Amino acid sequence: MSQESSRPQPRLVQFKLVLLGESAVGKSSIVHRFVKDSFDDYRESTIGAAFLTQTIELNPEITIKFEIWDTAGQERYKSLAPMYYRNSNAAVVVYDITQESSLERAKIWIKELQRQASQDIVIALVGNKADLEEERQVDNEHAKLLAEEEGLLFFEVSAKSGDGIKTIFQNIAEKLPVEAQLNKSQQKLANKVNLQRPSTNNQASCCV
Amino acid sequence: MSNRRPSMVERRSSINEYSTQYEDSRVSSPIPHLAGLEKPLPETIPEEVDVVIAGTGLVESILAAALSWQGSNVLHIDSNDYYGDSTATLTINQLIKWVERVNKGLINNYKNAMLYFPNNTELEYQNLIQSKDYGIDLTPKILFAKSDLLSLLIKSRVYKYLEFLPLSSFHFFENDNFEKMNNSKKNIFINQSISLINKRSLMKFIKFSINWENSLEIWNDYKKKSIKEFLQDKFKLELNQINELIFAIGLCNNDTISTPEALTRIKRYLISFDVYGNFPVMYSKYGGAGEISQGFCRSAAVAGTTYKLNTKILNYDPISKIAKLSDNSKVKINEKLIISSTQSTSFLSSSTSQTTTASYEIQRLTVIVKKSCSEWFENNESSAIVVFPTNSLKSGNKFAVQAIIMGENTEITSSNTTVWYLSTIETGDQGRADLESALESMEKSILRESKNFEEPEILSQSIKFGDDVNNNFKSGEKLQYLLKFYYIQSTSLPHSGVVNTSQYRRKNSTTSTTFNDDVLFSSLPSSEISYDGIITSVKLLYELISGSDDDFFDVDFEDEDEQDDNNLSGFNNDSSINDQINSKSINDDDNNEDDEVIDSEAVEFADDMEL
Repeated sequence: MSQESSRPQPRLVQFKLVLLGESAVGKSSIVHRFVKDSFDDYRESTIGAAFLTQTIELNPEITIKFEIWDTAGQERYKSLAPMYYRNSNAAVVVYDITQESSLERAKIWIKELQRQASQDIVIALVGNKADLEEERQVDNEHAKLLAEEEGLLFFEVSAKSGDGIKTIFQNIAEKLPVEAQLNKSQQKLANKVNLQRPSTNNQASCCV
Repeated sequence: MSNRRPSMVERRSSINEYSTQYEDSRVSSPIPHLAGLEKPLPETIPEEVDVVIAGTGLVESILAAALSWQGSNVLHIDSNDYYGDSTATLTINQLIKWVERVNKGLINNYKNAMLYFPNNTELEYQNLIQSKDYGIDLTPKILFAKSDLLSLLIKSRVYKYLEFLPLSSFHFFENDNFEKMNNSKKNIFINQSISLINKRSLMKFIKFSINWENSLEIWNDYKKKSIKEFLQDKFKLELNQINELIFAIGLCNNDTISTPEALTRIKRYLISFDVYGNFPVMYSKYGGAGEISQGFCRSAAVAGTTYKLNTKILNYDPISKIAKLSDNSKVKINEKLIISSTQSTSFLSSSTSQTTTASYEIQRLTVIVKKSCSEWFENNESSAIVVFPTNSLKSGNKFAVQAIIMGENTEITSSNTTVWYLSTIETGDQGRADLESALESMEKSILRESKNFEEPEILSQSIKFGDDVNNNFKSGEKLQYLLKFYYIQSTSLPHSGVVNTSQYRRKNSTTSTTFNDDVLFSSLPSSEISYDGIITSVKLLYELISGSDDDFFDVDFEDEDEQDDNNLSGFNNDSSINDQINSKSINDDDNNEDDEVIDSEAVEFADDMEL
């Protein structure tokens, strides 16, 4: 306790991160590994809201909080709502290194992000299932080159073993515009109505 | 009740296993696993579902979410490539296509759609139609702070996808003048234009109206009489106060509305005040009903609903119960097929023409103006309501014209521009004349107001909202319009039916007619300016599908990050929304029991509303 009070509290900055990629590439496993540091058979949902949150310490002053949105299956028939992309600060586009076609699909998602999301969104291209080296279909260098051409971060990871997972989010966090977001979220909060918090429960305080 | 389907708990035994296996005993609610999170989704459309819903309008979207959280297997489709159907929020480009389709007769129950781009250069026009800044609501609505939809947004956690902004400016137009409304006790007493004796009468009425249902002796003789008569006879109010109560506070369409109905509407405003702050209504950022529809669709998807835009039903065979979809897939429907009026396809046209009689008309005129209109907004707000009571316009309007003004902070329009949504229930040429006349009055007013703004001495604390049009307005300045958009919508939902639930139920049951018992038709939105009536419609359909609305959204979500959220936004500050910037609270990332209590209060409030 004494230690905590002696050093300044880090500032918490929230960012919205969206997941994209073909189904079965392991989008959710990656997030699960990041949020719970486990690879369970049971993927716990953030019940009802469908986004998970996890914080990461950028430096002693700044803690980044990711609000991670999963597609909830709406991507399957190209039916992702504009709401999904709106105000997203980062995107993790996942493919499966053992499935060539999943990289092709990832390219389409990257195009979609460039069209729908804001220009300064930080995008990471992530090849999952790096533990299945013997089944590899997508060449590491090939995907890396693609990411470089598009100006994306690139990682190969294994959600199963956990290798590389934290690095994705750490690297994204380092690229995010922290100060700008702090200013923006304060402005936003200033006028927003907080529905969790009625100001009174007085039914008619204006006139009684 | 006898034909009730098994509940979700019974249907999904795996969830119960999950609960007991899982270490944390707090997880006990019967929540289906997150779609796409727990296992790969099937590659093709489900061959067999409980319910197919065509159309992603607000009613259908809430229905999809309610059914899938109940445990039904739902396929939700829309023939459009966007969410929202008749309650969509559209970009200008989408609006152009929508107008073209209406005028080709491709969208049922809409007609006479017109879209103008006055005074735009080619470049401006190109920027406008390519821009993502604009989001025009086909059915603009406001949300009362105490209402069933708001309670459901909280209970379903759909509010987490949305941002709401407060709206407290209600203006009403009389004698060629905009009057700013006396929306609080304080204002009534400050207002010097009201005599003391009138203040007393007004306060007496307001006290009565909060609890009017229990004072039958006062209004018993006026059950079938108009609210105007009632207010004149029983409370001796002056005409301008009566108009203010009926048209601004009650948001009624005319003063012949029955006393009980008008009292319900007046009370709705009064009890919504101060629930979340010093304002009675809110609206969602980035678009109204279109945005809320998307939120409920996402909730439905989380609960397992399959989504397919750009898809329509080509055929349905009531014997095999198989529907053929435009993507060449087939689906067997175990229970019901719900079709929005706009999505009806040719195979149904002969029967729908008999069953859905859209006999009520709404005319809408929506414009984007190059002006911030901040003169009309309260501090820190970005929207306002303007109402034109019966007979207040040059056109001699028999019905009110209602307008919602949305400024740039609503993020539905570009900077320094404003969207004005005008609507009336007047029909034919008169309806259009009323809308044009109201637009003209608003244009004059805002030009006059913004001129006054440069001469601060004219502005006072007074309630007057502008000077006399005829005397002082000589400016040659013209208001610039980026866009004018007009159309007529018809619906089977009555104009006045939205507040009185029992009345609504009865009328609606005759209009939501069944087709072979398997097919239900949902109606287009009513003329009601608020979201009132939407949940009633949804529950009615829900009941027709599942036998009872007992378990409508009967879910108990447990959010693990609730405490974090509270720490970000639930500060210990009663003056609420404007004071929520407090870095100390943002830093406070500990679990905070106080915040938990606050949250449970909010949810209790939701339960109050008899969801």
